[in-house]
Amino acid sequence: MTSIGTGYDLSNSVFSPDGRNFQVEYAVKAVENGGTAVGIRCKDGIVLALEKLVTSKLLKSGANKRIATVDRNVGIVSSGLLPDGRHFVSRARDEAAAWRQQYKAPIPTSSLADRMGSYVQAYTLYSSVRPFGVTSIIGGWDAEAELPVDGQVGSGPKVGSGGKKEGAKHGGPFLYMIEPSGLYWGYYGAATGKGRQIAKSELEKLNLVDGEMSLEQGVKEAARIIYIAHDDNKDKEFELEMTWISAISGPTKGKHEEVPKELREEAEKLAKKALEGDDDDEEEMQE
Amino acid sequence: MNHLPQAWGRPRDDVYGAYDNSHFQTAGPNQHTQSPIVTGTSVVAAKFKDGVVIASDNLASYGSLARFTDVKRLRKFNENVVVGFGGDVSDMQYLDRLLNSLDIRENYASADDPLNAKNLHTYLAKVMYKRRSDFNPLWNHLLIAGLDGEAKPFLASADLLGTTFSSPTLATGFGAHLAQPIMRRTIPDEASVEKVSKDEAVKLVKECMKVLFYRDARSMDKYSIAVITKEGVELSEDEKLENQSWAFAEQIRGYGTQTA
Amino acid sequence: MAAIFSGAPPQGGPGYSFTQTPTAVPSGERQHGFYPYTDNGGSTLGISGADFTILAGDTRSTSGYNINTRYAPKLFKIGGEGPDNKGARIVLSVVGFAADGDALKERLDTIVKMYKYQHGKPMTVTACAQRLSHILYNKRFFPYYVHAILGGLDEEGKGALYSYDPVGSYEREQCRAAGAASSLIMPFLDNQVNFKNQYMPGSGTGHNLKTKEATPLSRGHVEDLVRDAFTSAVERHIEVGDGLQMMILTKDGIQETYTSLKKD
Repeated sequence: MTSIGTGYDLSNSVFSPDGRNFQVEYAVKAVENGGTAVGIRCKDGIVLALEKLVTSKLLKSGANKRIATVDRNVGIVSSGLLPDGRHFVSRARDEAAAWRQQYKAPIPTSSLADRMGSYVQAYTLYSSVRPFGVTSIIGGWDAEAELPVDGQVGSGPKVGSGGKKEGAKHGGPFLYMIEPSGLYWGYYGAATGKGRQIAKSELEKLNLVDGEMSLEQGVKEAARIIYIAHDDNKDKEFELEMTWISAISGPTKGKHEEVPKELREEAEKLAKKALEGDDDDEEEMQE
Repeated sequence: MNHLPQAWGRPRDDVYGAYDNSHFQTAGPNQHTQSPIVTGTSVVAAKFKDGVVIASDNLASYGSLARFTDVKRLRKFNENVVVGFGGDVSDMQYLDRLLNSLDIRENYASADDPLNAKNLHTYLAKVMYKRRSDFNPLWNHLLIAGLDGEAKPFLASADLLGTTFSSPTLATGFGAHLAQPIMRRTIPDEASVEKVSKDEAVKLVKECMKVLFYRDARSMDKYSIAVITKEGVELSEDEKLENQSWAFAEQIRGYGTQTA
Repeated sequence: MAAIFSGAPPQGGPGYSFTQTPTAVPSGERQHGFYPYTDNGGSTLGISGADFTILAGDTRSTSGYNINTRYAPKLFKIGGEGPDNKGARIVLSVVGFAADGDALKERLDTIVKMYKYQHGKPMTVTACAQRLSHILYNKRFFPYYVHAILGGLDEEGKGALYSYDPVGSYEREQCRAAGAASSLIMPFLDNQVNFKNQYMPGSGTGHNLKTKEATPLSRGHVEDLVRDAFTSAVERHIEVGDGLQMMILTKDGIQETYTSLKKD
């Protein structure tokens, strides 16, 4: 590590002569050790998946959920320092609630990602704080239907001034990933944590850009990718945690929910089969 | 250097002087609600064997003016609870948003084991009592209808003073005078709830809505009705009163120009 | 070199002088057209015996001429375990403004429960009685608009009964009626419990008449007095009726009964 001994890595917000902020780079290191997290933006929803490493046999399986809900329609999964992730989620919930207070409507996923990006970035600017030791994936479904304003009691004018605009397009699935620097992009598929390299190369093969991936298929792919990414350190035990968000017309009615047990188990079964089937190299799994 | 994140980006006191918040102040004293402005009239509800029926009309009045005619005064909280609002409409909207934020917070962890009608009544009663104690009341009379923790029918009320009570049948406003006696004829006590079917309860409540429309000048013939059972909430917001008979009006004497 | 990068705040130089970001606007005077009280009617009474205390109250709740409900209890167990106060040995009755009554009950109940957690023993009625007085007195400028009666057994096992005014003035008594029909019931109790205006027959004339000495009454007799007091009150007071709730406190715990009253 070139940074060691130079002194430029001892305080946050201090640049090194070649323009790097070492504290932020160390934060990224913290993320690289976390369990793999994956997000997939499908045609009709979002899937979030996490390789939850089992740190103790004394932990109850299925408990201690790590993928959090923000408002009703957004999910956040993060990799890195767990408490930093909890704080990140707590802030996101506050942002979503503050948005509702202000605008009487749910926060668009893009705005939430923007606000959280700014928040994370602020922690790179001051010597009194350290950067977030997490990379977070924010997935949300913005309602495709025109929602009533919070507290609305009537239906408003049907025609004329204030009437509804015909054929307007609303909402859809959105996926963002925020890094310790505060950098964030919108993604078709996002991965972070220990197995991110494998996961990313798997995600690239899915042709998510075409926008043809169905939500249910996305769940199966997400499970498979987590299993593949885990393959490198087989000795460690892990639990697969998966959530999804569909359209209002879909299975979760626009809400962020845990993937039903039956579907998750089916996806896990297929994932294990895919692993055994082609241990040597990658090949698309089929149902 | 100030270490509190909330101070980041704020002007420094020693450089710019203390923040002058005098422009926040408005002329005159700070006023709280002294009286309701846009109001909804009665809410009526009755328990039956497997659940609760609740109804209210879709009118919001501005004094004697029928101001809004499509106002939904029954608010579904979740599959277990419906809240019916009488009184000030803006306070109702405030409470609706409050309940919405409560529901969001409740479902962060998981959606199983949701709040039941009893939980919600306790919560709303405390909100109402707190606000009256601050001399800043929410000018409403609420009926909370649904199922309790044991999935048994639950019906209770909370008003702007924080007063609470529960009964097999309940009605707010004008309904307390006109609908309650009619409903008590069929459902006088807790024991009789068991003998009333859903259809009978719905019929009874609809009958009450009709009587209220006949006699309450601040009522309307379009109304909402909800039935809460184990199967969930059936909410209809565009009901019309049926089979009205105004024959009795002929018999009314003593008003207007009639002399005998 | 290292000193340049220390994150320590600068000493002696200009710093932030505010401790907190500006918060609320100072509020001005306030006007009010809202009356925060109402009367929910009903009546309560309590009588203490040698080794028991009985508290009773009707279950009607009213708003003006309306009956809100025919079953709204005015008697509450205080302390014990859990939301249904298992094993409680103190009872509070409240009559007046029901919302204040419920708030008062809840405060006293949590205090008595906390007392047991903190001290490892249940609160005595005497202590509880004084604590209740303090709660009421603390809110004397915006009182709990209730007439409270607290019942239990004292440290010697004797029936204990305390009655309160809305601002916390209290005393231990043999019997007390409160609420809407208190003026109807209290004189009856004076006569039947404390034997007021009762004299020993044939003990003389005029000032020589001997007053009948008050002696502790039996439990059965007191229960009869309570029932008679309420059935009579129901006849003469419109805010009293529907049901009679009774709680009988003995060394074995609290026995609760409900009997119906006229619903007119």
